[in-house]
Amino acid sequence: MTTTPEEVLSPEPTSVELGLESVEKPRSMFRRGWEVFAENKLALAALVFLVAFILLCYLGPMFYHGNGTQSDMEAVTLPPGAGHPLGTDENGADVLAQFFKGGQLSLNVGVLGGVISAVIGTLYGAISGYFGGWLDAVMMRVIDALMSIPLIFLLIYLGMIWGHDATLMIWVIGLTGWVGITRLIRGESMVIKVRDYVAAARMMGGSGPHIIRKHILPNTIGTTIVNTTFSIAGSIFYLSTLSFIGLGLESPHADLGGMLNDGTQFVDQGYWWMIYPAAIAIILVILAFNVIGDALRDAFETRLQKR
Amino acid sequence: MPLLELKDVRTEIRLKRSTVHALDGVNLSIEAGQTLGVVGESGCGKTMTAMSIMRLLPNGGAVTGGEILLEGRDLLPLSDAEMAKVRGNDIGMIFQDPMTSLNPTMSVGRQISESVRIHKGYDKKQAHERAVEMLSFVGMPSPQRRALDYPHQLSGGMRQRAMIAMALANEPKLLIADEPTTALDVTVQKQILGLIDSIKERLGMAVILVTHDLGVIAGRADKIAVMYAGRVVETTNTETLYANPRHPYTEALFDSLPERGAESGTKLYSIPGLPPDLTKPPAGCRFAARCRYAQPSCREQDPQLTGETSEHQYACFFPVGEVERSAKAVPVTLTEETSAEAIPQSRIGEPLLTVRNLVKEYPITAGAVLRRKIGAVSAVADVSFTIYQGETLGLVGESGCGKTTVGKLLVGLEDATGGEIGYGGRDLAADRHARGAVRREIQLMFQDSYAAMNPRMRVRSVLREPLDIQKVGDKASRDKRIAELFDQVGLPRTALERYPHEFSGGQRQRVGLARALTLAPKLIVADEPVSALDVSIQSQVLNLMKDLQVEFGLSYLFISHDLSVVRYLSDRIGVMYLGKLVEIGPAESVYANPVHHYTRGLLDTIPVADPAVEKAKEDKGIVGELPSAIDPPSGCRFRTRCPAAQSLCAEQEPPLVEFGTNGHLAACHFPLRRFDGDAGEPAAVGEVVLPSQPDAIDDATESATA
Amino acid sequence: MTAYIVRRTLQAVLTVILVSIITFGLLHLLPGGMVRGLLGTHANPQSIAQLSAQMGLNRPLFMQYLSWFGNFLHGDFGWDYFKQQSVGSLIQGTIGQSMYIVGLSLVLSVLISIPIGVLQAVRRNTLLDHTLTFVSFVLWGIPTFLIAFLMLDLFVDQLGWIPTSNEIASFHDALTQPQAIILPVACLTLTSFAGYSRYLRSSVLDELTQEYVRTAIAKGAGRRRVLYGHVLRNAMIPMITLIGLSLPALVGGAVIIENVFNIQGIGLLTTQAALTNDFGVTLAITMLTAALTVLGSLIADLSYAILDPRVRLD
Repeated sequence: MTTTPEEVLSPEPTSVELGLESVEKPRSMFRRGWEVFAENKLALAALVFLVAFILLCYLGPMFYHGNGTQSDMEAVTLPPGAGHPLGTDENGADVLAQFFKGGQLSLNVGVLGGVISAVIGTLYGAISGYFGGWLDAVMMRVIDALMSIPLIFLLIYLGMIWGHDATLMIWVIGLTGWVGITRLIRGESMVIKVRDYVAAARMMGGSGPHIIRKHILPNTIGTTIVNTTFSIAGSIFYLSTLSFIGLGLESPHADLGGMLNDGTQFVDQGYWWMIYPAAIAIILVILAFNVIGDALRDAFETRLQKR
Repeated sequence: MPLLELKDVRTEIRLKRSTVHALDGVNLSIEAGQTLGVVGESGCGKTMTAMSIMRLLPNGGAVTGGEILLEGRDLLPLSDAEMAKVRGNDIGMIFQDPMTSLNPTMSVGRQISESVRIHKGYDKKQAHERAVEMLSFVGMPSPQRRALDYPHQLSGGMRQRAMIAMALANEPKLLIADEPTTALDVTVQKQILGLIDSIKERLGMAVILVTHDLGVIAGRADKIAVMYAGRVVETTNTETLYANPRHPYTEALFDSLPERGAESGTKLYSIPGLPPDLTKPPAGCRFAARCRYAQPSCREQDPQLTGETSEHQYACFFPVGEVERSAKAVPVTLTEETSAEAIPQSRIGEPLLTVRNLVKEYPITAGAVLRRKIGAVSAVADVSFTIYQGETLGLVGESGCGKTTVGKLLVGLEDATGGEIGYGGRDLAADRHARGAVRREIQLMFQDSYAAMNPRMRVRSVLREPLDIQKVGDKASRDKRIAELFDQVGLPRTALERYPHEFSGGQRQRVGLARALTLAPKLIVADEPVSALDVSIQSQVLNLMKDLQVEFGLSYLFISHDLSVVRYLSDRIGVMYLGKLVEIGPAESVYANPVHHYTRGLLDTIPVADPAVEKAKEDKGIVGELPSAIDPPSGCRFRTRCPAAQSLCAEQEPPLVEFGTNGHLAACHFPLRRFDGDAGEPAAVGEVVLPSQPDAIDDATESATA
Repeated sequence: MTAYIVRRTLQAVLTVILVSIITFGLLHLLPGGMVRGLLGTHANPQSIAQLSAQMGLNRPLFMQYLSWFGNFLHGDFGWDYFKQQSVGSLIQGTIGQSMYIVGLSLVLSVLISIPIGVLQAVRRNTLLDHTLTFVSFVLWGIPTFLIAFLMLDLFVDQLGWIPTSNEIASFHDALTQPQAIILPVACLTLTSFAGYSRYLRSSVLDELTQEYVRTAIAKGAGRRRVLYGHVLRNAMIPMITLIGLSLPALVGGAVIIENVFNIQGIGLLTTQAALTNDFGVTLAITMLTAALTVLGSLIADLSYAILDPRVRLD
C-alpha cells in the first residue's frame, strides 16, 4: 500500500487505515461468556446434572405412579425392591414418589426464593450505591443490622409464624436472603457511578432512574446473574436446613430436607433408603448451582479482563 | 566491552490461545556511564526489553533466545537464585508509578533497608542507617523522619525519590528507569530526571531510560534506540537521531509531534493504521503496512539493523534522510515531505461564553458524627475569561491546578460555588433553567472515551443516548443523524453495531467526538482528549478536531497538561496555577513572550523533543512541589515557588492586568516584561525583566508593615 | 484514626439499635397479638393480663419499645412461661458452651485456612490446588446439618470411634468432655474454613500481581522473602474484616450443629423454643447474638484499622 501524504491526511480515512477490519465481528457478551463457561467441564457436568434432575423430578411422576402420601401399614419400611424402587417409609408411603415431590419443592422454593432475593438485593444495592449520601447511609445501616442477625434465627422465627407452607417459605427465604447481593451491587454501582459514561449521561440531562436503568443495572448484570445462582443454592440450603430441624416443610409435603428429618430418625435401624437418596440429591443440587455460579463468575470476569 | 549488551533477544508471552512475540531479535548495547534512551509507542516492546533484562516478565513470559550480557556474563542461563543476586545489586530498577510500586504497609525506610539486608547482609541497625543515608542522598528533606513514613504519607515526587534510593542502595552499575516520570507532574518530572542525571554522574553508573516521550530523552540520553513492534528499528546518538532520522518510522514519529506542526503552521502528519498484532507478526518489515515509502519488497524481506557507520544503525531498505559516511553527524533540517497542507483556520467571531469570577470550593469536613466544615479545597478561585465563537481556548497547568474543574463547571457536571457563566445572555451558574436550555449547546469530550462509554452499549446506542434523553426527533431521524456523524468523524457506518472495546484508542476518541457533536453544540469542552493516545494516533484526532471546528464553526475549550498539543490547536491560551488563572493571551504571545514566572517555568520545564533546546536549558524549571489547595498560599499563590517572589507577593494578590494590546493578560507583581504595545516580538529566552516600578513596591511593603 | 474509631463505634451502637427495632417489629408480626404470641399457648388469662400491664400495651408504641429495649439492656430478657424460668437464666446456662464451640471453631478454621490458602495460591492451577479448591468448595456448599449427620453416622454409628452417649449440658461439660466436642467443632470448622481459605487464596493471588511485588523482586528479594515479607501480611489484613462479617454465619452453623449433636447451647434452646412456639426466647436470643456479632465485627474492623498503616496514620 503506497499512500501519498494527501491521502493520509484526508479527514475520512478508510476502515483499512483505521485498522477496523482487524477487529472481530461483534459478538454479544453472553456469547463470549458462554464460550468461557463451556470450557469449564465441571460446570458443564453440573449443568447436565441439573437439567437431568429437573426433568426427573417433574417428568418422573408422569411415568411412575407410586404413592408418596398415603400410608400403607402392610408395607412399612420396605427396602428397595419390586414395586418400590426406593423402598417405603415408616408409614408405608413410596419413597421415590416422595423424592420426586420433594425435589420439586426444593427446586421451586430455591429458585423462586433465590430470584426474589436477587431482585430485591440488586435494586436495593443499585439505589443505595447510586444515590449515596444520607439515603445510602441509612440504607446501609439497615443492611448492617440485618447482616448482624444470623440468618438462621430470622428464618426460624419467620418459619415459626408462617412456616409449613411452601408459598410462604418462598417469601420467608426471598425476603431474608438478599443482603449479601445488596452489598456487592452497591459496591459496583458506587464504582460505576463515578465512571465517565455516567457523567456523560448526567451532562446530557439523564435522570437518576434513567442512569440506573441504562447504565448501572446493565453493568451489574454479571454480578446479579452469578449471585442469583448462588442465591438459589443458598435458598435450597436454608430450606433443607429448616425442614431438617422441623421448622420448614413437613411430611407428607416435605422437601428433600424434610425427608431427611424423617429418615434420620431411623438411622439406627439401617433404613438407608430413607436417608441417602435425599441427602445425596441435596448435596449434588446445591453443589451444581454453586459450580455453575462459580463458572459464570469466571465467564463474566474474563469478559471484563478483555476490555 | 559494553556494560550491557543484548544480542538477538527474543521474548515470548504465552497466552491462553496464542503467543505474543513481544521481542523479536532485539539488539542493544550500553557503555558504562552512558544513558541509553529506549523510546517507542505503547506495545513496541520497550518495557518488555527492560523486564527481559531483569527477568521480571509477566506470567507466561520468557526469553526464548539470544544473549543478555552484563559485563560479558550471559544472564539468561543464571538460576533464579543467581539472578536474584544480580537484581538490586548489579542492576537497579525504578518503575512508572511510585505509589503502587511501593509496599503500602511497610515504611519506606524498611523497604530501602531491605535492599542492603538482602545483598550486603547488614543487620537491622546498619541497614536503617544506610536507608537514611540513601534518602538524604536522593535529596529527601528530613530523611530521618521520612524513613519512618509509609508511602501514602509522601508526595508523588518524594515517593519516586524513595524508589530511586531503594534501587541505588547497593550502588548498582546500571539503573533501568521504566517511564520514571510518566505518573508525575511536569515540574516534578524535571526534578526527578535531574536527580537521575546527577546521581549517574556521582556514581558513574549507566542508565537505561525507557519512555514514550521524545522530549524526555532528548535532553537526557547519550544514545537512543527507537523500537517498533518488538524490534529496535534505529539506534544512534541523540543529536544524530533528532537531526537525521533514517528510519521512516522515526521520521514519522517526529513529524507527528504537535510542536513541529505549530512551528510550521501545517497540519500534523499522522501514521495511518495500527501497529501489527504481535501474536502473528507480519513477514518482512513490520512497519511496511504503515510506511509512506514502502515498496512490495518491504513486505517480503526482513530488513536487518545495519547502517553506513556502526554508530548509526537502522532497519530499512529505503532509508530517509542523509547518507552518513563517517561517525560525525551531518546537520540536517527536517525532511520536506512532512505535510504541505496548512492548518485550517476558523473564523473567530463574537464572544460565546463569558466566565466572571468563577469559584469552586469543595468543603472538607471532620468530626466523627456531625461533619462540621473545617476548611475547603480551593479548586477554582476567581477565574474570568471569555470564549469567542469559532476559537480554541487552550487551558494548561499541572494536575490539581483546577483546569478540569473549570471544564466540569462549564458543562454543568459541577455546581459553581460563586461567580457567573454568561451564555446567551443568561447566567448558567445561577439559573438552573438556563442550564437545562443550553445542555445541547455545550458538550464535553472526555480524556478516556472508553471510560466515557458504557461497555454494555453498542456504539449506535452510545451515540443515540443524547438524542434519546433530549427527545430530539423520531427514531428514524436519530438514526440518520448518527450515521451522518459517523461519516463526519471518518468511521465506517458498519462499525456502529460494535461495542466500544472493539475499537482502538484513536477510533474511540473519534466516537467520543461524534457523541459530543450529536446535539450540534456550539462549544465543546475537550478535557485532555489526546493524552492517553500515542503520538502518531494523537495527531489524527487533533487534525480531525481542527477540521470539524472549521466545518461547524465550533468553539473549543481545550484542556491539557501538554503545552505542545495546546499550542498546536489553540488560538489563545490560559495558564492556571492552583485554582488561579495566572496568564491568558494569544497562543504565540504566551509562548514566545510569557509574562508570568509560572508560565516561563512551565515552558522551561516541559521537555521539548529537540536535544539542542533541551541541553541549553540548564537548571531552569520550577522548584518544589505544588502546595496544597486546602490552605493555598496568601497573596500570589505561586510565590512559594517563584524565583522573583518578594514580601509584597505574600500580602497582595496580583490582579490580572493587560500586558499588550493583543489581549495578553497576566497576574504578577514582578512580571517578566513590561506592558508591550507590540507583543509580537519575542523576548530573548530567559531574559528576566526587572520589576517595573521598584519604588511603588517599596511603598507597598512599607505601608503593609506600617 | 481516633475519628475512625469513634465513628465506627457509634455505627456499631446504631446497628444494635436498628437490630432492636427490627426485633421489636418482629414481635408485632406475631399472630394473635404480641402478648398472646409471647406467652404461647400455655399461658393463662391471668398471666396475659399481667404481661399486658407490664408491657404497657396501652402506651404509645415508641414508649413500649423504649421499655422493652431498656429491659433488654438491663439483662432482663423476659420470662419463659413454658419452662417457667427467666429467659436470662436460660441463656446464661447455655451461652457458655455455644461460645466455646464457636470460638474454638473460628480459631481452628482460620488457622487451617491460612496455610491452605497460601499453599493454593503459591501452587496455583496445579492438581493440588484444584483438588483443594474442589474439596473446600464441596464442604462450603453442603448444608451443615448434612455434614454433621454424615459425620455422626460415620464416626459414632459405623466406626464407633466416639462413644454415643455424649451430652453437653453445661459449660463445664464442654470443658471436661473433649471427646464430646470433637465432632461438633470439627464439623463447624470444616464448613467454615473454606470461606477463609478461598478468600486468602484469591487475596494472595491479587497481591502477587501488585506492582510492589515486582519492586521487591527487582531489588533482589527471593520467593520466600517476597511471600512472607510482603505479600502474606498485605493479603491477611483484609481477611480480618471477612472474619468479622462471617460471624453470623458461624453462629448460624452452631445452631444446626447443636441440634444434631444434642448440645444444650443457645442454638438448641432456640429450636426447642421455636418448636413450642416460645417466641420470646427466640427473639431474645436473636437480639443477643446479633449484638454479639456486631461487637465481633467492631473488634475486627478496629484491629484492621490498627494493622493497616493507611488507616492508622490517616
